[in-house]
Amino acid sequence: MSAEYQNTTTESEPASTLTAVPVWLIVVTLLLVYWGAVFFDQHGGWFSRRVYGPYVSIPDAERFYPLPASGPDLKRGRALFESNCALCHNTDGMGKPGQAPVLAGSEWVTTEGVNRIIRIPLVGLNGPLKVKDQDWNLSMAGMGAAYSDEDLAAVLSYIRASWATRHRRSRRKTSKR
Amino acid sequence: MKSGALVFLVAFMALAASWGGFVLAPQVQLSRSVQTNALGSSDLYPLGRPGLAKQGLEVYRANGCVYCHSQQVVQEGTLCEIVLTEAGTNAAAAAAAVAKLNSALGTGDAKSLLAGLPKMILQVADMNAAGPALKTLEAAGAKAEARVAPQGADIARGWGKRRTVAQDYLADYPVQLGSRRIGPDLANVGLRSPDAGWHLRHLYAPQNEVQGSLMPPYRFLFETRKIGKEAAPDALKVSGKLSPPPGYEIVPRPEATALVAYLQSLRADMPLEEAPLTPPAATVASTNAPASLTNAPTATPAAK
Repeated sequence: MSAEYQNTTTESEPASTLTAVPVWLIVVTLLLVYWGAVFFDQHGGWFSRRVYGPYVSIPDAERFYPLPASGPDLKRGRALFESNCALCHNTDGMGKPGQAPVLAGSEWVTTEGVNRIIRIPLVGLNGPLKVKDQDWNLSMAGMGAAYSDEDLAAVLSYIRASWATRHRRSRRKTSKR
Repeated sequence: MKSGALVFLVAFMALAASWGGFVLAPQVQLSRSVQTNALGSSDLYPLGRPGLAKQGLEVYRANGCVYCHSQQVVQEGTLCEIVLTEAGTNAAAAAAAVAKLNSALGTGDAKSLLAGLPKMILQVADMNAAGPALKTLEAAGAKAEARVAPQGADIARGWGKRRTVAQDYLADYPVQLGSRRIGPDLANVGLRSPDAGWHLRHLYAPQNEVQGSLMPPYRFLFETRKIGKEAAPDALKVSGKLSPPPGYEIVPRPEATALVAYLQSLRADMPLEEAPLTPPAATVASTNAPASLTNAPTATPAAK
């Protein structure tokens, strides 16, 4: 045996033993997990099938949805008016003698606020009433149960757009009971 | 082996995790996808491909088109464009409003500023920012609309209007997504080239239609035959070396017709909830009610 091999024989065989994981490694791992969780929360969309890049969430994509129409829905209002109200009030808003008073230019329609006229289709109207210096004593059934607030608001918007000199949109909010 | 059970367990866990991520999770996410309404309309999407195009998918598959053509469009961002459509009656006020919104445009005079309508005058981050800009223009009497404009290299190349999403592939089986782009992306080829004659000529002789094309010709999808009583209406109009001998004509076989029908049906431009877009022809609803919708008291009811 040569001299250079003699040194190696004194060393022990390599063996695996159990040692504790260093604390810094645990801390770094936990930080990485935390960063990963935050990143997922911000960019992952929580596995939603509706979220695709470049959007990170549904509200993020909703920023590009078409703007809601800002004007009153006069088309719907007209359709509803003609199929319901016009039976008595007439399609031109002039009313029918003995059936329903005039809407066109009536002080009930042209008045500034919407709070008074909105109650008529909402809960109905019974008893004596003066419209454009003409006395009426009839009864109109409330439609609040049959039609949604949006529908009633659309009808009132149409009535006021057509037959009031000054018109402001009847909003759905105002029509809420 | 000292810890064989442990090695097996770890290997099993690794494979199970990748199976869960690549197979199970997409299945849970997307397997219940059905036809839905397009964004802001009652149109159903996707409508599915017509029968001939369905056969064309098989031809596409059989000829390995997927090895060179992808069908997926990537989108890297989205912007909102304010497009001025009408200057209105007061050009000076409209020009002032435009200049106020985009100071880079404020240098020219009103006439050059308002020339060539409709004109994109401003890019904003999203629809929330577009609202005030539209109000400003409206106050000046001008008409404008906000358009959603997806951004990205693929969209700049004209390969699509928006990114493709799972909904686009609902009607196809198997989905021909593709991963290589030796040829251009085909997700919207029906939108780009709707002409069936072009597609047929291109399949027969790609280099005649696209300069420097790498695509091999698919002449076996065509037939050179003797002209019968009269020439076939779908005979190919090719010239030069490739033109058929006198008395003969080149007609597409049924496979070519089906493949072209499939290519024409490829379009992914419907606005969806997950991929919003402003379709080209649509206009933003105006706040001004059309004149026909307001009745004067004396007006006779308009005919329906």
